[in-house]
Amino acid sequence: MAGDQDRESNRDEVARREDVRDTYDRIATHFASTREYAWPEVEAFVDAHARDGVGLDLGCGNCRHAELLAADCESVVGFDVSRGLLETGRDRARERAFAVELIQGDAATLPLAENSVDIAVYVATLHHLPTRAARRDSLDELARVLSPDGRALVSAWSTAHDRFDATEGFDTTVEWTLPGGEPVDRFYHIYAPDEFEADLADSDLALRESALSSGNCYATVAGAEPTG
Amino acid sequence: MKESLLEILCCPLDKHDLELENADYDDEEVVGGNLVCTECGEAYPIEDGIPNLLPPDMREETPA
Repeated sequence: MAGDQDRESNRDEVARREDVRDTYDRIATHFASTREYAWPEVEAFVDAHARDGVGLDLGCGNCRHAELLAADCESVVGFDVSRGLLETGRDRARERAFAVELIQGDAATLPLAENSVDIAVYVATLHHLPTRAARRDSLDELARVLSPDGRALVSAWSTAHDRFDATEGFDTTVEWTLPGGEPVDRFYHIYAPDEFEADLADSDLALRESALSSGNCYATVAGAEPTG
Repeated sequence: MKESLLEILCCPLDKHDLELENADYDDEEVVGGNLVCTECGEAYPIEDGIPNLLPPDMREETPA
């Protein structure tokens, strides 16, 4: 039965998304301690597009980029699937005295209202969603919540990185090594640069600029155009 | 979470508004309670000040 297969496949996908969440819950404290500094590409984006209004750090981890947004935005949301990572974000916000509202959720089904976000950073997160359908859903969801004149920076790990030989996008797992030496697998979809642009072009987002930097694909995008 | 966050939150499933129920406060922070969808009735828990708005099929308890 096709319906049974669909249900089976849906269960499998949910399980894989939960795996990513559980992995980050497990490695949260160590992971956050190695993510001290904001990425220069994100600093440049925030400098260029910072504005009053609502900022969103989608896949915020320890909130290092929410911290950048908090300097300009009226309010900032830090959003992540992992409760453990959100708690490291809360610790960082307390230590460094910046304000962030934390939400636990799934990047492919955002619990945020249409046009509610003025500037968003969605870096190093998209590649953890296990299927192209989920990745595409998350880009459409970002388009829905981003105001038409809002801007977002999207990044994903790419085949252009030195550690990969492939020229086509592929699924893989990348080990995280805990301080005791214990390895923990994390799911990644490694994007070919043209595949990344094609997924953005097929989404409801409007692609404004794209670039490769430090083995990552980057794109600056705008929200969906109003319909009707 | 601040109660004002409700202005931009919605149900992850059907995108309808959420209502805060059984809220526990610590000063101006909402630290506990439920966010309930005004359309489908799904309740999303606020756990130690952080709303858990994962879709219900991803929400089950994380293994320790």
